[in-house]
Amino acid sequence: MAFQDNSGDIIFDVVLTDEGRRRLARGDGSFNIVKFALGDDEINYGLYDTTAATQDQDIEILQTPVFEAFTNNTSVMSSMLMSIPRNNLLYLPILKVNEIADGSSTEFHSKNVFHVAVDGNTENNNGVSGGDGIAFDSAGKIQTGFMLGFSTQKSSNYLRIDAGIDNSAVPPATNIADLFLDETQYSLEIDNRLGSIISKDGTTRLSPASVDDDNIALYVVSTETDPDFVFVNTVTDSGTGNGQVIEGARSTYLEFRIASSIDLRQSNFLFNRLGAELSDLTSQDGVSTPDYRYIDTLVKVTGLNTGYSVDLPIRFIKLK
Amino acid sequence: MASTFKNLSPNDKISTKTLLHEAIPLTGTILSGTYTDLNIKNYSHGMFQSVYDYPYLSSSANHIFDITVGFANDSALSASSPVAAAQQKKKINLYNQMAQVLVGYDKTGSIQPFDEDGNLVDGTKLKENIFLSFSRLLVKDEVKRGSFQMTVSVTGAYDPANFGKTVVVSDFGAVNEYRINSPVGEYGILYASNSSGQTNIDSTKLGAGVLANHAACGLIYYQAGVVVLSGSLFTLSGSGGILSSSVDGGGSAIDFGDGFTFSDALTGSSISSSANLLRARIQNIQFNNTVELNSSIYFCRINHNEYNYSANPTYLSQSQIRVKQESSDSPVAYVTTVGLYSADNQLLAVGKLSEPLRKDPTIEYTLRARLDY
Repeated sequence: MAFQDNSGDIIFDVVLTDEGRRRLARGDGSFNIVKFALGDDEINYGLYDTTAATQDQDIEILQTPVFEAFTNNTSVMSSMLMSIPRNNLLYLPILKVNEIADGSSTEFHSKNVFHVAVDGNTENNNGVSGGDGIAFDSAGKIQTGFMLGFSTQKSSNYLRIDAGIDNSAVPPATNIADLFLDETQYSLEIDNRLGSIISKDGTTRLSPASVDDDNIALYVVSTETDPDFVFVNTVTDSGTGNGQVIEGARSTYLEFRIASSIDLRQSNFLFNRLGAELSDLTSQDGVSTPDYRYIDTLVKVTGLNTGYSVDLPIRFIKLK
Repeated sequence: MASTFKNLSPNDKISTKTLLHEAIPLTGTILSGTYTDLNIKNYSHGMFQSVYDYPYLSSSANHIFDITVGFANDSALSASSPVAAAQQKKKINLYNQMAQVLVGYDKTGSIQPFDEDGNLVDGTKLKENIFLSFSRLLVKDEVKRGSFQMTVSVTGAYDPANFGKTVVVSDFGAVNEYRINSPVGEYGILYASNSSGQTNIDSTKLGAGVLANHAACGLIYYQAGVVVLSGSLFTLSGSGGILSSSVDGGGSAIDFGDGFTFSDALTGSSISSSANLLRARIQNIQFNNTVELNSSIYFCRINHNEYNYSANPTYLSQSQIRVKQESSDSPVAYVTTVGLYSADNQLLAVGKLSEPLRKDPTIEYTLRARLDY
């Protein structure tokens, strides 16, 4: 995409996204614009100079060239503007991956990804000791940074995202709701061809609110409707550690797992199309490093109140 | 509570319609000459001839219009013997096809012939016609009424390079006067008028009043993009046409081409040959097309107390807002993008500003997002 001409009057270039066109073509009334949001994807607020004279503070930001509109619905609005009733806030909440919440259960693998074993063979050689299963170690313990995508009823590692103000200037004992900064609902976006979102204990399987033209499934969870996914963080201990990654006032946290799709379990097509092969993980026999196929993807978690989002690197793996 | 979405109320949306016009100039050299007919496509079925704006074997070529000819069942030309009348059946079929689509049927279900003034009840019928069907690429939604103009050579002796004697065919006055009794929408009457300084049209064929310098010679169907030229345009008044005998220096007929009168060409030559002869007589064609642009306008109203903060990762440093030094400083954010969403949070349309807009509590905006269909 090119930059827009910014030499004259301000131009406002509006296009339908691919998902918008798809819904329009469906003709079933699903193309219905009911709300708007503002984005600032191109802006680097690091260029804002608070030490400069007022008129010069944002001069570099205002000169930022802006791209033409992308038509891919997931390629824009990565960062959104927020409305908060108070103007005197100095700190805002963020979303932060919590890798210390539950021992090693929420910890990422040393490769900085979370693995999802897509079938029983990849998990633990279908329950047969020895063999090439790579989700468990030789002691029968699930390996750090591995998730059971097939045996969803079994206890497994999971992902946890915490929301709150990551600064001790706003102590954890502060009621974040009083600051209008409570995060009560989250959206999760995942490639629907690869997997789906389930609760930490595997008992609750979410239905996507929608699946777009690029097979990106959108799930929405909230404290009110999804008590298996969104929890209020009541810990007021100061500082991090003790399972907490948010230094200051804490809001809610999101916990979930990923179940592998039937396509990934039964076929190698998507692995061949979207992935590659490796043999760098030690199997449950503690010795061999079997060949496996993998697909790297991102799961995007967005706080729907604060608009803050994080991308979680996920690797779906399947033994050859 | 912090929020990122703002609902649009019914007062924030409006639908409008805009008509856009493009000028379409077709010079005669494109039709005959420039590409030595490499841009002319004839088909084995011989029913019509296609004109392209570039040699049609090139992928750059665009189809611009088709030419065909036809005459009615009850035309005098239908009486010619089948042997002499080249493609007689096809020409009758084409006339009927055009007539059934453009003129429609009478109460008995019979196809009605083209009528010179649009009064289908009586009056002069156009029974021997040339049809120009313009492609949708040029016409878009419709031809703009009152914009059609075509200059054709009426030189008595066939001479493709000679545009010494011409008449101008136009839908004169169609902005205010047109017909709507066609199944395909609006149509206007085409009139021939003398080119400047010439008297090629028989004065007895000219109309009265505002039509004092105009002689009816065909029809133009605006939405269908079809021009129906009557054979009278190339026929002397003594033979039922509108041309003065002066066009051929006083002779009894004009040579439409290859030694044929227009009538002879229709009976004695193929459709593609007639189309060739016609192309050589077209000096230019021009009209304006129309695109009907339906728009939905969404007014994204941003109040002073809205959208003053950002969730941009660079907005914070250790959760502290970068654009503030102390809490009493005004928050500020910069808008580059407007997303329009469905109820299930799917991004359906996106608008980009050409430069960042500063937003702080002292500023309100109404961003007008227009979607065209």
